Amino acid sequence: MSADQVVATGPEIAAPAVVVPRQRSLARPLLNVLMVIIGIAFLLPMLWLILASLNPQADDTLSVPHAFSILNYHLAIRAGAGAAIKNSLYLAGVSTIIATAVSTMAGFMLARRRIRFKGAFLVLVLFLTGLPVTLLLIPTYQIFVNLSWLNSKFYTSVVLASMSVPFAIWLMKNFIGQVPGEFEEAAAIEGASELHILFRIVIPLVIPGILVSAILTFINSWGAFLIPLVLDANPSDTPGAVGIYQFMSANGQVQFGQLAAYSVLFSVPVIILYLISSRWLSGGFSFAGGVKG
Amino acid sequence: MAKIVLRRVTKSFGSKVAVDDLNLEVEDGEFVIVVGPSGCGKTTTLRMIAGFETPTKGTVHIGDTLMNHVPPKDRNLAMVFQNYALFPHMSVARNLSFGLRIRHESKKDIDSQVREIAEMLGITALLDSRPSQLSGGERQRVALGRALLRKPQAFLLDEPLSNLDAALRSQMRFELKRIHSQFPVTTVYVTHDQVEAMTMADRIVLLNHGELQQVAPPELLYAEPLNVFVAGFIGSPKINLTAGHIDRSGDGSALRCLDTKVAVPTEIAERLRSAQGDVVTIGIRPEDVQPCSPLDGQVGRAVVSGRVELIEPLGAETHVAVRVGDEIVTCRTPPRSGLEVGSTINLSFDIEQASIFDGTSGLRLC
Repeated sequence: MSADQVVATGPEIAAPAVVVPRQRSLARPLLNVLMVIIGIAFLLPMLWLILASLNPQADDTLSVPHAFSILNYHLAIRAGAGAAIKNSLYLAGVSTIIATAVSTMAGFMLARRRIRFKGAFLVLVLFLTGLPVTLLLIPTYQIFVNLSWLNSKFYTSVVLASMSVPFAIWLMKNFIGQVPGEFEEAAAIEGASELHILFRIVIPLVIPGILVSAILTFINSWGAFLIPLVLDANPSDTPGAVGIYQFMSANGQVQFGQLAAYSVLFSVPVIILYLISSRWLSGGFSFAGGVKG
Repeated sequence: MAKIVLRRVTKSFGSKVAVDDLNLEVEDGEFVIVVGPSGCGKTTTLRMIAGFETPTKGTVHIGDTLMNHVPPKDRNLAMVFQNYALFPHMSVARNLSFGLRIRHESKKDIDSQVREIAEMLGITALLDSRPSQLSGGERQRVALGRALLRKPQAFLLDEPLSNLDAALRSQMRFELKRIHSQFPVTTVYVTHDQVEAMTMADRIVLLNHGELQQVAPPELLYAEPLNVFVAGFIGSPKINLTAGHIDRSGDGSALRCLDTKVAVPTEIAERLRSAQGDVVTIGIRPEDVQPCSPLDGQVGRAVVSGRVELIEPLGAETHVAVRVGDEIVTCRTPPRSGLEVGSTINLSFDIEQASIFDGTSGLRLC
């Protein structure tokens, strides 16, 4: 059969009467431009930070150093960056442990058990997540004075934990709610107590959720400024966020290079945390094989 | 092993009554299957026995112990869930040994018991696998193994075969009966599949809308259903149900149904006297309806004529749907019956083989 032979293979299909040209939308290019602008707005300060930290003659303008140097890092550590980071690690670490433990247990009970006035309690918890810390600072300070808890890293950590607990409870309640109830029923019928069920069944299954909650608490506490400033005036307890502030005012003139180096050093633990935990977080919740579907 | 007794058990969820005034006794070692359509209360009943739900009214006894407020972990029961409920973060071996580890049994004992049960169920090669690596049948065996290792006073199974394909379901039915004969533990099994119920149960408990319809061995439930619902639920293909009228004129009773009149034996006529009114429902099993040549009317035997509407060959037999007047009558015939769709056919049935129900209450008259 040649190419110019017409072969009738079926009913004729009517050709469309009008061919409408495809209209190009401006929305996508505009959106892309907007995203680029926002990206630049976020990236430029970070770029300045890194370049300034490696520039012995850094100022408040974005410029490439003539000669890259780590002198600013040496000076920042000598000024107390190391000790400040250690204190921040303590505050963030202890508050994360307390908040995670409390919110996991509270989240389990709220997700799984029939509790009177549970709805009202959850609304209260939600309300507390939006409460500004400044509202509570004065009464908290008064309580600390009465209990002689001032100038203590541990009790300051407790307050930092309490700031994160409401949101963490909501997170954990929702994460635990996703675990099929049949796992707990199967464990219960095997003779497991509530604690067994929590530690051997639920917690292993919500580790990604616990990590999310812990990371958010850690970051919240890592960057805490007002609470440690007010509740712990001990110079040796100064955390990173407060240390940066003091560092700026102590020298009279702002040493931008050392400030940038201090900021980079202060950011490193959090970045490492993200990198380590992203491996677990990308796994998500997998109950594969446990239940059908 | 233990007897399970439910006395006047009712369970309500708000205004919805899921189980209504249920009385049930499961004897020691008995294999009882609770069956019914979706939403009939069978799973709620099982969950009350397990302790996951507390009865709104009534009592649950296991052995001689009142269990209403005893938590599931203290009831010494084992349960196999519809969705397996295998712990996804544990290997098969750790899933099997979960209960043993909770009870702090020695590692040596745990290992030997796990190996023994794995060998019995044919899952030894899977002990190091995770549930996600197993097929549906393998997961169900692991769930069964975990229940067996519990050494409970009773087994509870909640539709354990519903997620398996037909061939595997058939194989697992055989396995379960074999295991029950080896470990004759009191068993309460919930299913919506009447084939499972008929083939496995010592007795069947049939529920509908939370109410008990009948408790009986499979053969009795099939042959003597207590009401229209039981007759219609049990049996595949479904029983033929047709409205009938009691004709009390003349010297005896007769029944009018399917556009014909059939004289009934004296014994049946006497039982029909207790009917509320003259309307009854007649149930005739498809295997009791046979194609025939036209016969003269005999007492108790009806002959009807109809048109073949559907023929379903199933290999070993053929199901034929025949339109008789406004109704469809299904009959079972041998495989090569030679019938064709559209052809006219005569069917006969014996009224003594039929179940007759009161037209108002639906309860069995004879």
